[in-house]
Amino acid sequence: MATKNAEAYAAISKTYEWGFHSDIEQDFAPKGLSEDTVRYISAKKQEPEWMLEWRLKAFRLWQTMEAPDWSKLNVPPIDYQDAYYYAEPKAKPKLGSLDEVDPEILRVYEKLGIPIAEQKMLAGVEDLDDSGQPKRRVAVDAVFDSVSVATTFRKELEAAGVIFRSISEAIREYPDLVRKWLGKVVPQRDNYFATLNSAVFSDGTFVYIPEGVRCPMELSTYFRINAENTGQFERTLIVADKGSYVSYLEGCTAPMRDENQLHAAVVELVAMDDAEIKYSTVQNWYPGDENGVGGIYNFVTKRALCQGRNSKVSWTQVETGSAITWKYPSCVLAGEGSVGEFYSVAVTNNRQQADTGTKMIHLGKNTRSTIVSKGISAGRSDNTYRGLVRVAPTAEGVRNFTQCDSLLLSDQCGAHTVPYIEVRNPSAQIEHEATTSKISEDQMFYAQSRGLDAEAAVALIVNGFAREVLQQLPMEFAVEAQKLLGISLEGSVG
Amino acid sequence: MSVLELPSTREEAWRYADVAGIATAAALPRDATAIDPASLFLDLPGARILIRDGIVDESASDLGRVRLTHVAAAEHALGRRTAGPGWSLRLAEDAAADPVQVVHLATGGANHLASEIVLADDATATVVETYAGAGWSNRALSVKLGRAARLMRSVRFLQSAGFQSLREDAELGQGASLVTTFLGAGHAGSRIDAQLIAGEGTYTEYGGALLTADEQRQECAVRLRHAEPNGQSHQLWRAVAADRSAASLAAAVEVARHAQKTDGEQSLRGLLLHRTATVNLKPELEIFADDVKCAHGATVGELDARALFYMQSRGIPRAKAQALLTRAFVADALDRIGLDEVREAFVADADAWLERVL
Repeated sequence: MATKNAEAYAAISKTYEWGFHSDIEQDFAPKGLSEDTVRYISAKKQEPEWMLEWRLKAFRLWQTMEAPDWSKLNVPPIDYQDAYYYAEPKAKPKLGSLDEVDPEILRVYEKLGIPIAEQKMLAGVEDLDDSGQPKRRVAVDAVFDSVSVATTFRKELEAAGVIFRSISEAIREYPDLVRKWLGKVVPQRDNYFATLNSAVFSDGTFVYIPEGVRCPMELSTYFRINAENTGQFERTLIVADKGSYVSYLEGCTAPMRDENQLHAAVVELVAMDDAEIKYSTVQNWYPGDENGVGGIYNFVTKRALCQGRNSKVSWTQVETGSAITWKYPSCVLAGEGSVGEFYSVAVTNNRQQADTGTKMIHLGKNTRSTIVSKGISAGRSDNTYRGLVRVAPTAEGVRNFTQCDSLLLSDQCGAHTVPYIEVRNPSAQIEHEATTSKISEDQMFYAQSRGLDAEAAVALIVNGFAREVLQQLPMEFAVEAQKLLGISLEGSVG
Repeated sequence: MSVLELPSTREEAWRYADVAGIATAAALPRDATAIDPASLFLDLPGARILIRDGIVDESASDLGRVRLTHVAAAEHALGRRTAGPGWSLRLAEDAAADPVQVVHLATGGANHLASEIVLADDATATVVETYAGAGWSNRALSVKLGRAARLMRSVRFLQSAGFQSLREDAELGQGASLVTTFLGAGHAGSRIDAQLIAGEGTYTEYGGALLTADEQRQECAVRLRHAEPNGQSHQLWRAVAADRSAASLAAAVEVARHAQKTDGEQSLRGLLLHRTATVNLKPELEIFADDVKCAHGATVGELDARALFYMQSRGIPRAKAQALLTRAFVADALDRIGLDEVREAFVADADAWLERVL
């Protein structure tokens, strides 16, 4: 406990420490969005013809669509022509050789505490084995603006049969596999931002775990927006074949800028029979300053298809960053006995807005889902949980448990809960509970009587409130996430 | 007949609405009804108002303190159609009226009627409404409660065909109390659409039971706004769906920025009797104040298999056991009715429905 308090203390004294930006020579696509932009991106990536056609189809579709406005968000109109859709560092690394990555970029990741060099480990974890190697190793795909600059531990992963590539490489190297699954979970016409992503996605991660393989290490992607006025559109596709297991982590940061930047990602997960995917996100995009100037618009579509029998997908997210978050990681539970889980902590402070939650679509028999959502609002922010639990007529014996708790830390913020429950099979057992409260004076008094100051006491109580979710995170991220909670709430007391 | 302009289910507030059902109901041919309106009035003292196809039948009514007057229509997609002559119950300070019974008898086609209930400080009123017949009965009600005024209202939808839609706008003054209970136990579709604004220290109970069978679709869409501190509210809804029917419960609690010490509670529960039936629940919380106690619980499922087994092991036949458990499930919502005669009548209607469906 002592360390926890020390960390909370340390965290509280900081502000957004990832707000630096680096001067790195970069190639940009011409500003604006047109078919030419789409062709430019596709050409830059040396994509096959089918990929370009796929992108153009999405782009034409996107032009006919309207931005959604059903969420409880106040999104200023976005000028899609006033942004760069592609930015890559000029000194391009040769694939597979880390030494040739621009040292400036390596320094950025160093500063962020992300181990690009294989002997290093994620900051905050010091657990070495006898030979001085870290016990828990994490393979990283580092995405810098629009390109993936490095993926680590390739050889070792390949030995296990695991394909861990940036998606651009995968399109070239494993076209059949990518073509089979791309857009199958999140179709091109799914929603406005997913369609835009389908047209202009620049990079992201592709993971394939073959039958019966337990991925030997955690996989992770670290997204960094560096360039000004760029949008980041990454696309992640993870396919877990029969009986396999993978744990995947995702992190992100961006420099502090006065303009808003758009981040519209699509993540697709597929789990076959008995496969399990654990997907953890610590979202820490720049949230804007205390007056709501600047920050990232995080409009993300994440969906998992539990196709196989007894497959399992678990989403864990800690959302502390972004000016506006619009994100609903979902599970389509098609396979008999498949399991979907969603654990979320969303923190909003200052003028941040978050509308986040999940959808559990029960199609198969005996499918189960658990939703635990913890919303924490402070400052003048708005935090909404929006979730759907749907049970199809064919889905016998469905079980769902949902718990949504909200914590209000100021009298100027808002906490909202909008659950949808749609049941078409009587054998389903659906339970939903929600509470809204503030930190009680008793709790504060107790913590303060033990020598904590007000902010440290709040950090401690908030960590306790979010514990059920933080426990689900892999260790590397749990430490990080706990610190983030403290930082995000800085200045929200008193 | 003119083309009906109805809201689209793409709009969030109309997501579960049976818009097509309204159009079908409006197109039902007019046909003399065999129902004797006298059978729909309960044995209570006080005013009795008979409304035939949206027009008050003065010869068959005893208006009591109710006045017939022009009532302004609500700004609402369906509510605004009711503009025109309507009925009004206005009570002066400290007044207490005998129960007012209103029977809406429809014989096909569409009919619209506006109404208002305005209670001055400390006034008390009880209103019981019954819908019967066939067609589209569209109603709007405006409620204004003064300081510490009390309104108890019970509404039952018993139409055999068509659609019953109700728009209610209520404003509760300081310390006022509003207790409203609905029962949907007929054959027709329904939509209860309400916007309640609760003042300081108010007490609100708003709920009921929607029982659906065959192709029927019934729903409530209630939004309760605590605009001032110290309010207390309970929204307790029960839905029972059989055959291919759908029951939808959408209830929202909104707590304004300075409405501290609000205690808002929602309990939405659905019971599915057949695998082709649907229950939709949307318990919504929208909270802007930090010192509040708000919670909601929502469950959907079938009857508890263990309870059924237990009762069967005690010699109760399965069908009877199902009926008993379902009755208990529905009774939760109807228990809130204060007047014994009214509660018993409502429970009897619910029992008749269960008898028919189970």
